[in-house]
Order: sequence, then C-alpha cells, then structure tokens
Amino acid sequence: MLHLENEIQELRDKLLSMWDLVIKQLDKTEVSFKTFDRDLAMEIEETEKRVNAYELTIDRACEDFIALLQPVASDLRFVLSTLKINTNLERIADIACGIAEFISDTDEEVNADIISHMEADKMLYLSIEMVKDLREAYLLENTKLARTVYKRDKMLDELNDVASYKAIECLDKYPQQRRQTLHVLSIIRKLERVGDQSKNIAEEIIFYIDAKVVKHKKSDK
Amino acid sequence: MSYKIETRNVDLYYGDFHALKNVSMQITPKTVTALIGPSGCGKSTFLRLFNRMNDLIEGVKIKGDILIDNKDIYKIKTTEVDQLRRNTGMVFQKPNPFPKSIFENVAYGLRVNGIHDRKKIEEQVEKSLKQAALWEEVKDKLKKSAFEISGGQQQRLCIARALAVEPEVLLMDEPASALDPISTSKIEELIYELKNNFTILIVTHNMQQASRVSDFTGFFLLGDLVEFDKTKKIFTNPVKQQTENYITGRFG
Repeated sequence: MLHLENEIQELRDKLLSMWDLVIKQLDKTEVSFKTFDRDLAMEIEETEKRVNAYELTIDRACEDFIALLQPVASDLRFVLSTLKINTNLERIADIACGIAEFISDTDEEVNADIISHMEADKMLYLSIEMVKDLREAYLLENTKLARTVYKRDKMLDELNDVASYKAIECLDKYPQQRRQTLHVLSIIRKLERVGDQSKNIAEEIIFYIDAKVVKHKKSDK
Repeated sequence: MSYKIETRNVDLYYGDFHALKNVSMQITPKTVTALIGPSGCGKSTFLRLFNRMNDLIEGVKIKGDILIDNKDIYKIKTTEVDQLRRNTGMVFQKPNPFPKSIFENVAYGLRVNGIHDRKKIEEQVEKSLKQAALWEEVKDKLKKSAFEISGGQQQRLCIARALAVEPEVLLMDEPASALDPISTSKIEELIYELKNNFTILIVTHNMQQASRVSDFTGFFLLGDLVEFDKTKKIFTNPVKQQTENYITGRFG
C-alpha cells in the first residue's frame, strides 16, 4: 500500500471512530429521552469532551495531511470532505448534548403524550437513522445511500414546521405541563438541525466520491 | 479564438520509435501551459517541436501541422528558421551560461542579430535582466564571469538571455529541477510575471510546480496526449483515470 493510501486509511478510521462516538451519543440521547434517565443524560454531557477532543485530533490530522502530502484530485476531495464532515459531526454531538441538558435539568418525567403528539420521538428516530446511514455511505463510498437522507431531512423540516401548532394544542390540553411542552418544542428545533447537518454530510460524501457540488442545487439531489 | 500555438494530429518518429502519437493541442496567447508525464512520455519532444530543435536529431520524421500564429512552422523557408528560434526562446534544465561576462551573455543574442549600437545593447541588457528579476543582484558585477554567480542566478541569466531578443514564446524544459527551493520559487514568480508578455510552455516533473505556475496542463503518456485542460480541472477532477493515477502518485 502506498504511503498516501496508508495516511488516507488512518484518517478515514479516525473519522469513523468519531462517527461511532456521535452515534453512541445519539443512541444514549434517545434512551434517556424515552426513559427520562437523567444519569444517562449527564453521561452524554460528560462524553461531549471526548467528541471535542476527537474533532481537534481530526482537524490536526487533516492539516498535516494537506501540508505534508499535498493531495490533489480525489485525495484532495477526500481530505476536504473529511474536514467538513468532522465539523458537522461535532455539531450533531453538540445537539445531542443540548438535548441531554434539557433532560438533566428537568425535574419531572416528560408526559409521553406530549412527545408522541408533537412527534419528537419520530424525529429523534429519523435523525439517528440518517447519521447511521451516512456513516455506511462514507465507509462504502455509496452516494446513492447518502442521497437517501434528503427525503428524511425534508420530513424533519415538515415535522418541525407543524410543531408550533401541535405545541399550542398541548399547551391547551396540558396547562399544568407547559414547561414540558416548551422543552419538547426546543428539542424538536434541535433535531431539525441534525437533519441540516446530515444533509451537509451527504453533500460532502457526494463531492468526495462523484466530484459533484450539490450544495445549494436542488436538481442534483 | 486565435491560438498562439496549435498542433493538429502531430506524429513524431525517432527512426522506428513512435514518440508522439496524433497530438493535437491549442495554446492560448499569454498563458502558461505545463507539460507533465513520466520520463520518456514525449513531453520534451513535444516542447522541442516549437523551435524545431528536433530537426537536429538524426532520423526524425514529423507528420501533422504545427502552427505558431496560424503559420505552419514546418513549411517555412530554411532561412526563416533563425527568425523562428528568435521568437521562441528556450531555457533548459541545467543553467548553461556562455563562458563570458554576465553582460555579454545577455548581449550575445543581440549582437548575433546585428545590433551593435552600444547604448541600445545596454538598455536591452538592463531591461532583460530586470524582466528576469536578476538586475538588482548583478547590476554591480556585470563584467564578472557568469560562472561566478549561483546556479539559481545563472538560470535567471539564461532566461534574461532568452528574453533579450524579445521572443513571443518561451519554452522551458524543467527550468527549476536543478535549483534549491529559494531559486525555484524565484523562477516560479518570474514565470508568473512573464506570462503577461509571453506565451510559456514548461515541462516539469514537479506536480506542485505545474499546479502553481500553469493555466493549462497537458498530461502525456507513451507519446499520447492523454488529457489537456485547465490546470484547475486537471488537479481537482481530471477526466481520465490515467491522469488521476499519475498526479496522485498511483502510477505504476
């Protein structure tokens, strides 16, 4: 194996480890959200430091890769996309941590009916599946799989759009749990952003593999 | 669009060896074109087409059209070849100054071309040395031997010598491969400046140099021009897999 290919493999492995860590954070977020596990939520907050450290390590590795190996063509696209995916993954982990903070700061279990009525559980499921599928797409260099997240991002946008109306219904129905409703609405807003970050990652995978810039273009997605 | 240089279906043979195969390329005026490819791929042979230096090699056979300013340079009179070579200056891999003073190296081409007016020669020598970014370093030692300056300075002196006769095309065959990074950087800066006035073709084995200095890049392999495109395109998203393999170092 060429020296360059070794370096690419190492960088790819680092990013995949980061990806695994972010997926774990999301999985824990789903569990803590559904079971109102505040200890698990605090664990997510604590693990956020590791995610940040990973992000810095990968940033540095990309910087070294560019400076020392002066990549061109597909190698250059690989390192540029890795750098951007790294940033997007860190932001997704930030969002997971933000949701965990809500859980650990709330002193009572969230009414399950509020969650299901506002479809926060569905949004959380969709978000996690998107991040997992993108990992697979990056690993297998499968742009078809990467493109599947666009549809789900749209679904998240639509759920986010109707969330305000559903929140009003919950506020009317559960006047004693207004705080909980507002918390769930905040979580929905965050999950919508996971969709945006996932879409960005998909664009980077397509840029790396197909050499196509699909950012800000609707027709190519 | 009118091209400065154009080749149409050019084949070149060294005896039985087919060194260039059906090569067609159009070169825009006042641009830098880098010719890249592994050793023996034909890029230097291609470069030497434009000052008819291949003619000097025994057994060479050339087919196709090779035009400079829309004029086929292989259909000109023998007496016009000198004029052609004045219009296409050449710089080689190793600096090759004449065993003369710095001044005389630059003045040589002028004298050979019948210019004897001392003042005019002095003006042209100064202008050429300034164009080659060497004037400030040698202006106080013009009478010293050209061999007393560094290799990088000698190479810029050779560029000044080529520029003195006011060519329109500059052919450079690995002009910085024997130089240290500082001298290399000076040559590259010089190429960047010179393209405002000249059409430049450069053969280089240094991929980074090709990507830094050129506007267009041609990739040669076994006598074929595999790909020719804007340098930005070649170094970010080449069309041919062979080009991608070569520029990323996976050629083998």
